[in-house]
Amino acid sequence: MITKTDVEQIARLACIDLDEEDMQAFTVQFNAILEYFEELEDIEAELTEQEEHNVLRADEVTPSLTQQDALANAPRVENGYFRGPRIL
Amino acid sequence: MSHREHVEELLDAIRRSKLNAFITVDYEGARQQAEEADAGELDGRLAGIPIAIKDAISTKGLRTTCASKMLEHYVPPYDAFVVKKLREEGAVIIGKTNMDEFSMGTSTETSFFGPCKNPWDLERVPGGSSGGSAAAVAAQEADLALGSDTGGSIRCPASFCGVVGLKPTYGRVSRNGLVSYGNSMEQIGPIARTVEACAGLFEVIAGYDPWDNTSRDAPVSHYVAKLRDEIAGLEVGVPQDFFGEGVDPVVENATWEAIAVLESLGVHAKETSMPNLKYALSAYYIQAMSEASSNLARYSGIIYGHRVQKDHDWHTTFSENRASGFGKEVKRRILLGTYALSAGYYDKYYLKARKARALISRDFQRVFKQFDALIAPTMPYAAFKIGEKIEDPLSLYKVDINTVPINLANVPSLSVPCGRKGRLPIGMQIIGDQFNEQLLFNIAFQFEQNTNNKHAV
Repeated sequence: MITKTDVEQIARLACIDLDEEDMQAFTVQFNAILEYFEELEDIEAELTEQEEHNVLRADEVTPSLTQQDALANAPRVENGYFRGPRIL
Repeated sequence: MSHREHVEELLDAIRRSKLNAFITVDYEGARQQAEEADAGELDGRLAGIPIAIKDAISTKGLRTTCASKMLEHYVPPYDAFVVKKLREEGAVIIGKTNMDEFSMGTSTETSFFGPCKNPWDLERVPGGSSGGSAAAVAAQEADLALGSDTGGSIRCPASFCGVVGLKPTYGRVSRNGLVSYGNSMEQIGPIARTVEACAGLFEVIAGYDPWDNTSRDAPVSHYVAKLRDEIAGLEVGVPQDFFGEGVDPVVENATWEAIAVLESLGVHAKETSMPNLKYALSAYYIQAMSEASSNLARYSGIIYGHRVQKDHDWHTTFSENRASGFGKEVKRRILLGTYALSAGYYDKYYLKARKARALISRDFQRVFKQFDALIAPTMPYAAFKIGEKIEDPLSLYKVDINTVPINLANVPSLSVPCGRKGRLPIGMQIIGDQFNEQLLFNIAFQFEQNTNNKHAV
């Protein structure tokens, strides 16, 4: 059983501000969904090697985005840099 | 008719349409590319053919929103691998199609740009998440389309809209330039009105790409040239697990009638069972949500995307950008994924999901030792009403019961129309072993040639 305080804590971890209404609704919905997921509780299986097949390419320098292209979608830019929020 | 005249016809249809299948239409670009095709300046296997692209796939210079406020004004500085392939083959990119926000949904109702509608019944959903792509093809607003399928997002709308759609083998099509949601399960795939057109588009987009390190360097078949290969003598399995509680008897009957058609063509069909499929829905959602929580961490509103104008410290700024940029379903999945991966719950949820995935994969490996392909209903029922399920997330997740096992097992599945409930199309999926898409096209082609399921509204 997860509580509204748990949902608030998860939202803080995920960096998403939730309003009161969403917090209430999500608490009820999360409990229903997590209860459904409990059907996996009895599963026992040894995991062998990863099923995903990773192919690594050679680490070679190739042309990439120009600075102008890389900055083109940034909401705030200053002197050729992304401008982030203040730290303190 | 010239390519330019054909494109103009489609653009007119889109302008008059009530479907909301497109988020962005490239009127100027499409006309220009069609004129180039008419002038003989474009050559290739798709020269002059108008194609619609799911708005989760990056198109250089053409807005790509993922149906989210977060990316409302995002214009990619590069083309996805598959889009480069389309351009090389002379395709005309007509626009970007509506979808569930960040591909999270089964109904195309979670789009920031409003729901897309089913061309067979405007009060019903087209399926999702690639609902705009399937609706546009069914309603003849595009000749072909690309979608992406993480847990059924190509096959579900193909089934609900009465068109042909393929979820390829994982690693068969490059994901470079596809906006990530559940990256260990998703593939870009083709949607078309005929099996042959679907195979033709797949032939163009399949292949190895060094920029996707899960891409596989396996030979690409000549899917169209080999389309008419013999299917008599094939062994097809019908797993009872796809006919569980909740499957509409009309859908069940349509699937069995389709199997009878295949038997009349010399295919041997036999019932089988895959007991671990009962874990598929939970395994899929836990894994997809966990991957989403990680993949969507990049949307902070600093490098690109939605940013609120107030000036706060970084945590408050990120949290406000994400709160106002993401819709409810995206927030739900990010939060549940964050929870499933958090200390103390990892073993209970994520690790169990990984184990369930392994068991499901082994079920598929076992049945493919006995059978060449499997047949099952794509969806448990025909298209439901807009608004019918959206308020209850778990009931909407359960709609994916027959499509998610395929993504967990990394195998290909082709959905083809196989009947109707009233006006509403019903689809069946033909599932194959990894890299065996050719066989799926061959079976579907013979079925299509020997039945009369209309593919366009």
